[in-house]
Amino acid sequence: MAQTRLLCLVLLALAVGAQALTPSHHLTASDVARLEARLAQPFTDLQSAYFSIVGLSKLGVTVADADEACRFLKSNLDPSNIESLFYAAESGQALAGCEIPVSNETRDLLLAAVSEDSSVAQIYQAVGTLNSLGLPLASQEVVSALSARITKEDNVLGIIYALHTAARLSQQAELGGILEEIEDLAARLDDLGGLFLQFEEGLEATALFVSAAYGLSDHMDMEPPLKEDQVIQLVNSIFSKKSWDSLAEAFSVASAAAALSSNRFHVPVIVSAQGPASVSHSQPTLQLQVTDVLCQPLVSANVVVESASDVASKRVILSQTPFTFYESNGVFELNFMDSQPASGYYQFAIAVTGDSRLIANHVELKVKVSTEVAITNMDLSVVDKDQSIGTKTTRVDHPSKAKNSFMADSHQNFAMSFQLVDVNTGVELTPHQVFVRLHNQKTGQEVVFVAEPDTKNVYKFELDTAERKSEFDSMSGTYALYLMIGDATLQNPILWNVADVVLKFLDEEAPSAVQAKTLYVPKPEIKHLFREPEKRPPNVVSTTFTALVLSPFLLLLILWFKLGANIANLSLSPSTVLFHVGHAAMLGLMYVYWTHLNMFQTLKYLAIVGSLTFLAGNRMLAQKAVKRIAAEQSSRLAKYRSLR
Amino acid sequence: MSNSVISVISRFLEEYTTSTSNKLKLVDAYLLYILLTGALQFLYCLLVGTFPFNSFLSGFISCVGSFILGVCLRIQINPQNKGDFLTVSPERAFADFLFAHTVLHLVVMNFIG
Repeated sequence: MAQTRLLCLVLLALAVGAQALTPSHHLTASDVARLEARLAQPFTDLQSAYFSIVGLSKLGVTVADADEACRFLKSNLDPSNIESLFYAAESGQALAGCEIPVSNETRDLLLAAVSEDSSVAQIYQAVGTLNSLGLPLASQEVVSALSARITKEDNVLGIIYALHTAARLSQQAELGGILEEIEDLAARLDDLGGLFLQFEEGLEATALFVSAAYGLSDHMDMEPPLKEDQVIQLVNSIFSKKSWDSLAEAFSVASAAAALSSNRFHVPVIVSAQGPASVSHSQPTLQLQVTDVLCQPLVSANVVVESASDVASKRVILSQTPFTFYESNGVFELNFMDSQPASGYYQFAIAVTGDSRLIANHVELKVKVSTEVAITNMDLSVVDKDQSIGTKTTRVDHPSKAKNSFMADSHQNFAMSFQLVDVNTGVELTPHQVFVRLHNQKTGQEVVFVAEPDTKNVYKFELDTAERKSEFDSMSGTYALYLMIGDATLQNPILWNVADVVLKFLDEEAPSAVQAKTLYVPKPEIKHLFREPEKRPPNVVSTTFTALVLSPFLLLLILWFKLGANIANLSLSPSTVLFHVGHAAMLGLMYVYWTHLNMFQTLKYLAIVGSLTFLAGNRMLAQKAVKRIAAEQSSRLAKYRSLR
Repeated sequence: MSNSVISVISRFLEEYTTSTSNKLKLVDAYLLYILLTGALQFLYCLLVGTFPFNSFLSGFISCVGSFILGVCLRIQINPQNKGDFLTVSPERAFADFLFAHTVLHLVVMNFIG
């Protein structure tokens, strides 16, 4: 009772601990080798020499030819340039026994650079150079210059340089203010999906931040304000890129890797299985690589399996079992098959202890136990449907084939039963794929059925000839019977030609060769049907009617002539002329509208012509009105006079 | 029955030729012309189908519109109706006729396609 309760507590703690992140991206041994190769390229200038020499020293590798490198540094040094001095001095210190000559002027130049007027980068380079050359400097002055500069230069890279600079100063100086910058800077990191943490300035800035933060924290012996999850997210960001564009980028990654593998506070642990995480009787040991970020095995660590449980049944197989470390290949091994696990998947909860600095040291690993399967008690029989005739069972052993073929027609069923057992333990297995395939050799037809296990884990397959005839297309003939066994945890999948079965169906159609589905044959072409133009009457009809429709105009002219319409009274006054011209223009505009113009243009012209016509017409009609009234008046006068 | 119809028609024609002024007869001739044009268009459409429908509509409505405007003009210039149109002189009626026709033709031309 107490033990199960303890187990529950442990599991609960594990569950909580297991919520912590583990690195999803890390450098493998080949990646580290690639990084070294990238850094070990021949120098082109002093800056590349600095990156190569110092970068390789951080990875624990010395440059190929140290003397040649030293000569290169001395010959390319420009004593009046602080940056050049910085590269030369730092590289010289990394190379053992390389002395960079220094003159008084150089020293004065460097000391003068430490002031509020220089940029943070310049202060960093000056301080670094003075430090590497072993020259004295006033730490407090540097601190005040830095603090003043930080408030002016608020960018990420500037503050990182300030952190680097502070790590070179005496511990007596007041570095607390600069130490606080680590936390502010960490707040500026962007969280990407909970997996990555990086500056928007990019990989180089993030890597330099890590090396600067840990450098200063180590120098001041104060734990950096970074949470475990944050450190792992930083690891993911920095080590997700496996090939580096520039030497500066490679250098920054090397610095970060060195910082994360050997600082005093946080050492991320990388646990990965050597090869696939799978054990079997032939390979009973589970091998783990437990390394730091630079792929160096953690020799002094204790690697323990806190619990190993079956994924399906949740049964705990192992508890608190340690791995053994082998110096020869740097891996931790555990013989899992000693605990005689059944085949399947197991969830391992692994803990790496032994050093209080280790983080991400609780890892979950899924391990597969595979085995070999054997088929036993394979019995084939042909059973009569009405069970009147006794069954005749034939036993077949794997991998041989039954000597006689079996006949089954519509009155009989063909039956098969067998058991699947684990070769090593004799335990009954239920693999994922247990198929019975019937293949007609003549027509190429194949039909696949699934065999199901019963409660006692005995597989049974029955073929009812009459019921299944649609699947066979009622094609009688000899079918080869195959048994297919497969599963992810089986090392020996089986394809076994068990026997030949002759099936006879009723209503047999004329045997037609089964054609493979013509899926990929070009289909008949679809001809596009353009829109049929509307049916129109023949031209003759249209022309006739056009003439007919225009004919009443002739009739009109004739009638008007007969009625005596004339233009005798047409006065040629300007308004009359203008009116008629304007009116004709408007009619002409209508025609032009029909053929060329759109509504807006027409309205524009119509407005112009129309207004002219209107004015002229108004005048003309007014004149006519005057004439008419005068005529009416005179006729009335005449009538009046005649009446009198 | 037919006798009376014929006599009515002949009486009507006689009265028409004698009592209508020339001016009105001119307008009537115009109206007859419009009528025939419209009727022939409609006959064509019945015989051959309505394609293109917009052209048929525009032509037919042009005839109908012109007929209506012609009738309006005739009513307004008839001196016997002077009492009903005290504010409208024959010249004004003619000007209205012209203006309305401009608008009608604009629409018809737009629609004729």
